[in-house]
Amino acid sequence: MNGVRDVTAKFMHAKLTGKLSLVLFGLVLVFSARAQGGPPAGGGHGGGGGPMGGIELPLNFLQADQNYKFPDDITKYTANDFLMLVRRTDIRSSFYNSDMSATISMVSVSPDRGTFANKEQIYRRDKDDAFLTIMTEPESRKGQGMLRVDNNMWRYDPTSRKFTHTTLKDTYENSTVTNNDFRRWQRSIDYSVVNITTGTLGNYKVIIGELKANNDEVPFPYIKMYIEADRKIVLKVEEYSLSMKLLRTAYYTQYVQIGDSLIPTVQIFQDGLIPEKRSQVTYTDISTKPLPDYYFTKEYLERVSQ
Amino acid sequence: MRVIHLKLAARNVQRQPHRTLALGGAVAFSALIMTLISSFVNGMDLAIQDNVTLYSGGHVLISGYTASWSGKLQNRFVDDKVAQIAQSAGGDVLTVSPLAQSRATVVFGTREIQLTIRGVDWTKDKLYHDSLILSKGDWNGLEPARTMLMSAQTANRFGLAVGDQVTVRLTTASGQENVTNYSVGAIYDDGAAGGMNTAFVSFGDLAADLNLKSNEQQEIAVFLQNSTGAEAVAAKISSLMSSQGYTVSRGTGSASSGSNQAQPASLASSDSLTAPLGGATQGNGLPQGNGQAQFQNGGARLAEGTVSYRVSTIQDLAGEIGSALGSIRWIGYAVFALMLIVSATGISNSYRMVLLERTKEIGMLRCIGYKKRDVFSSFIAEGIILAGGSALLGAILALPVGLGIGLIPFNPHGDFGSALVRGHLLFAPTLGQFALIFVFVTIVAIAAVYFPARRAAEVVPVEALRKIA
Repeated sequence: MNGVRDVTAKFMHAKLTGKLSLVLFGLVLVFSARAQGGPPAGGGHGGGGGPMGGIELPLNFLQADQNYKFPDDITKYTANDFLMLVRRTDIRSSFYNSDMSATISMVSVSPDRGTFANKEQIYRRDKDDAFLTIMTEPESRKGQGMLRVDNNMWRYDPTSRKFTHTTLKDTYENSTVTNNDFRRWQRSIDYSVVNITTGTLGNYKVIIGELKANNDEVPFPYIKMYIEADRKIVLKVEEYSLSMKLLRTAYYTQYVQIGDSLIPTVQIFQDGLIPEKRSQVTYTDISTKPLPDYYFTKEYLERVSQ
Repeated sequence: MRVIHLKLAARNVQRQPHRTLALGGAVAFSALIMTLISSFVNGMDLAIQDNVTLYSGGHVLISGYTASWSGKLQNRFVDDKVAQIAQSAGGDVLTVSPLAQSRATVVFGTREIQLTIRGVDWTKDKLYHDSLILSKGDWNGLEPARTMLMSAQTANRFGLAVGDQVTVRLTTASGQENVTNYSVGAIYDDGAAGGMNTAFVSFGDLAADLNLKSNEQQEIAVFLQNSTGAEAVAAKISSLMSSQGYTVSRGTGSASSGSNQAQPASLASSDSLTAPLGGATQGNGLPQGNGQAQFQNGGARLAEGTVSYRVSTIQDLAGEIGSALGSIRWIGYAVFALMLIVSATGISNSYRMVLLERTKEIGMLRCIGYKKRDVFSSFIAEGIILAGGSALLGAILALPVGLGIGLIPFNPHGDFGSALVRGHLLFAPTLGQFALIFVFVTIVAIAAVYFPARRAAEVVPVEALRKIA
């Protein structure tokens, strides 16, 4: 009897060890893939791929918005209502259930540098806070790109074949556009509402919210948002420095509805210190088709830029 | 070698002035070129050290990085003990003062320029007061709050004069955008400072702009009596800090980004650091902006308040420019070697001819009692007198030529601007260099004359007299 027990125990032990080895082998494979910057295992979720460890959204970020009831009268908005309104604009300007690709045309005007126009392709995966841009025009800059993934960001120059780190707040091509402007919106995460008033912007009735950054690492410590209450879209955002000087004004003049999302397709950014310096960013050919995971890798950017 | 050999050699050198002139001229030219190259490279070395000291604010820099609530490393620290440790590092230390700096956009009207702005404690400063030449305004103009010392290059580009207001946009130590105003207090001659275009403001003003707390600082600058002691002092500071439990790394660190933002080398594991935030590049390789970096994924996130230090010297910072100078120095050596080979070949061939011409004379000398070694010594002495004298002449001639070249103005904003002194190449010959060139040329000359001299010594007197007869 004892002999049978011993044999069974040995068999169970061997079986457990085998399973454990398999699990460990699997883990090693997954971590190896991650360490090499390759796509993670187990893709196929939602917008074409598993999570890539981007910035996590706060708990209940998407769910709380769905059933939120906004006051009908814009004068009745509280700070919390406004923050939820900002959250709605964040969610609706993004694609959390799919990937997004589009063509971006950018025209920048500067008193120092004159006019500069370029065109690029953007691929975004908002649920992972990842994006990839590849310049297609002008010919001299073709292939230059930018990749944001896993909270890291690089620029790629096909001439030198080198990646250099960049950050969200760095300006794009010496214009008034920052790298952050290509990313999903998340103002409701970064800011708290300090004050709200109502007013008009052109023909639109707007709620004007003054917001303060939640921590000292948000590039713009103060912003003022002008949100049209009826359509719940952002029309204008003023960004201020720590000393409360106006640094930049963003105008979102045209929106396009794609599924549940409302995308600002024409964005104008005017410098606060040199008002003559401004840029216009136009999104066209917007698609929500799933993108392969490998799009958001340095290897792909390197390959596609050649 | 006796006096008679030298006398004979000296007479022989004078006997054929054309040949002496040709051979001596070649050797003198080699010595002149080598003296010029080595003296100018030496001068560039000195200029770079001085200019890098100006760029960096001191001979030794101690930078502190504190982990924020999010794990990002911010270029700020609070610890008065670090300054005390630096002060106690040795008698060579003249001043220890706090520094702050930021890459900023300076706006005037519709024009803007990217500049490094450095906060200097004017009450403790010795370096800039001694080194910078003010072309407009004076040091008293920098006493009021929110005044800026600007380079002439920047001022000219903007059309700025003393008293004008400029707007400065920069990033705080934690990464927030900030905008402030300064008035131009004085303008310095950047041509006299290696083409540097850094703008200087009071440490307190910049610390406020960077949102540093009252007792916070970004760097401590240690100014020494002599830059040559920087490495030793840095090593001592590092060791003192380590022994007291500080996390210290040496050198400039290598940012994983293309920007020159630095982080402590001990923390610079390639995958664990995110992009340093804020700030941009500066040509001199100094840590810029806020030096932020973040640990995540591969590396453990740093606990809030964790501080790391980096100790660097001007030699570290001058590394890249210094290596370019090293190349110039080696090119100089190669040219010198080539010239010596040509000269040595010339000398050797000439003395073979001399041997043929003087065979009868050598035979006569042997007949009247000259021994083999006397003949050999006479030849060697002749080579030494010819080459040594020429080398000395070449080195002496290099002095006026070098000083003349030193008067030629160069663009201080060009690629080698930091190797210039007030827009001119510095000619800095040393006795050691002279001695080295003299000895080297002489040795080569002896080697070149050796074989003809041996053949001359081996001449059989009777045979020599018979052949010529």
